[in-house]
Amino acid sequence: MILLEHLTKEYNGVRAVNDLTAEVPDGEIFGLLGPNGSGKSTTILMLVGLIEPTDGRCLINGLDVARNPITVRNRIGYMPEDVGFYPTLTAGENLTYFGQLYGMDAKILTPKIAGLLERVGLDGVTKPVGGYSKGMRQRLGLAKALLNDPSVIILDEPTANLDPQGVADYRRIIREVATSGTTVVVSSHILEEISRVSTSVGILSAGRLVAQGSWRDLASSVGNRSAAHITIRVETLDPMPAFSHPDLISAEYEQDRREAVIVARSDIRDDLAATLSEQGIRLRGLSREGLSLEETFLSYYQVAG
Amino acid sequence: MKTMAASRLMIIAKKEFFDHIRSRKFLLIFGILLVVAIVGMIGGLSDYNKNLDDYNKHLSTIQSPLSSYMAEKPSILSVFSAVATYLVFVGGILGIAMGFDLVSKEKESKSLKILLSHPVYRDEVINGKALGGIAALGCALLVVLIIALATLLVYGIVPDGNELILIMIFGLVSFLLIFSYFAVALFLSTALDESGSALIYTMIIFIALSALVPTLANNTVTEFVVGSQPELPQELVDQMQQSVNKSDVSGISVTFSNKGNNGAWDAFNEKMQTYWEKRQMVHDTLALFSPTMNYESVTAAVTKQYTSSGMVVGASGSTSIVSSFNVVSAGDAGIDGIISTITANLIALLLFPAVFFGLAYLWFMRLDVR
Repeated sequence: MILLEHLTKEYNGVRAVNDLTAEVPDGEIFGLLGPNGSGKSTTILMLVGLIEPTDGRCLINGLDVARNPITVRNRIGYMPEDVGFYPTLTAGENLTYFGQLYGMDAKILTPKIAGLLERVGLDGVTKPVGGYSKGMRQRLGLAKALLNDPSVIILDEPTANLDPQGVADYRRIIREVATSGTTVVVSSHILEEISRVSTSVGILSAGRLVAQGSWRDLASSVGNRSAAHITIRVETLDPMPAFSHPDLISAEYEQDRREAVIVARSDIRDDLAATLSEQGIRLRGLSREGLSLEETFLSYYQVAG
Repeated sequence: MKTMAASRLMIIAKKEFFDHIRSRKFLLIFGILLVVAIVGMIGGLSDYNKNLDDYNKHLSTIQSPLSSYMAEKPSILSVFSAVATYLVFVGGILGIAMGFDLVSKEKESKSLKILLSHPVYRDEVINGKALGGIAALGCALLVVLIIALATLLVYGIVPDGNELILIMIFGLVSFLLIFSYFAVALFLSTALDESGSALIYTMIIFIALSALVPTLANNTVTEFVVGSQPELPQELVDQMQQSVNKSDVSGISVTFSNKGNNGAWDAFNEKMQTYWEKRQMVHDTLALFSPTMNYESVTAAVTKQYTSSGMVVGASGSTSIVSSFNVVSAGDAGIDGIISTITANLIALLLFPAVFFGLAYLWFMRLDVR
């Protein structure tokens, strides 16, 4: 389990992460979502113990990361954004070096590395890592993150450079490890990626966690308090009657298509239906569009902003 | 826990060591070092044999017991002076080449972040890197020394125990010289984000310490601090002029002494002595800050390279003044004398890399790995 308690990080008086509190249960795939500069990478660096929080603390399986960096790092797998390896060494040599730093024995390490390279699709690649594409380095980064059989995997923008097959492989592997009880934290600004792989999500804006929960919960919560896009289809070609409502934002009527699009601050479908009915206009349809991922995401930023 | 830490340190050091000895730049500079060492040895041996012949001729032609004492048998250590001449540059460049991208390369390739995310402490990483570099430098120098000794043996020269000790001291100070510039490069590699910048700044420091400081120590700064050389008082100049006029045209009987004015001469000699002592002190103090000058002082003492004017000719071409207490002939003072003479230089050669490695260590411990 991961627990972030009032996590704060300041750089030269500017708060990159501001009083962040969150909890990620075991076996969860937690998506950390936010635009560039929202504090995702800083949060992850504190989780890995690469930087110390100005205030607050990170607990991984009950251990304070800042106080027990070596123990914690033994139990986590980390893949940074723009993952880098030793360019003159092969994938196997890189992983062997890192495996030795985990204190892993060569007898265990050799078959383990072979299996991991096969799993990420790099088996049979013998050239040094310096000749790898970004996508290949990303695959190797995933293999490295799995090397020590971690109980927590932390991935920063893991699919940024992957091709579609690579993305599919990555999703499969992440789901497999989560099924076995491993907690996964994935940081990304790619909504699609987070929504496809994560079981819960935290949205960061300007260093603050503005929302946390499942996608469905978040979308539902946004839907109840954000602008509603209502489409009205009518049977007549006559002009639409005048309509006023305190929550109305805009209304556009396309007479040829007998269709109007209403944007309102709340769901005013009942009021609309009543008004049209009073005017003797028969409705073919009255629907409210669901929020897209982007709308949900942006809605939280608007709230935070 | 300590065993694990030592184990992690050795894992990092081992990787760094093999990275160095497999790298093209190391092999290239090491190759150049070997070539110049062999060329230097052969040149030195040629001079040594010539001096030995002269010495033997001198012994056979002069029967006077006093004359035999005046001739000094050439030391085989003199052979190493030519090696030192090359080593001061090529060795320095080898040290820089091995250190300038040690940390900055990892920043550039983004491997530092991933390395530090493993169960290792930062001090293990920087110490492991330094240890790997030191081991590679040590191996390179050991090979050079072994080849140098082998060359001596091939020429039928077998060093005795004292000479072997002096050769080992020579090897040690050569190592310290290379390590000094390695430490400077390591510090700048840690402090700067780009290897190119680290290389340029290290080269600037190398040039400053190898060429600029010796020049300043011999001329500008010394003149500025100590002032001009005392001028001969007019009365003594007049007196000398009179002596020259009265002397024989052949000049053989010309003498500058004047029994009637010993006080003025003594005062002038005392002023000159004070002036040169101050000048020497300023020079020696400045020299302590330059690994190159320290190296030249130590190798001069070990290999006994004097010119007839009592000056030591530096490997960089600079000429440093050597006071009577600064260079001691191995034959005259023995190993103890040489060691006591070079102690200050040795300490300076140890302190210089220690300071820069300390700076690199502190900087690395606080390095922002964002």
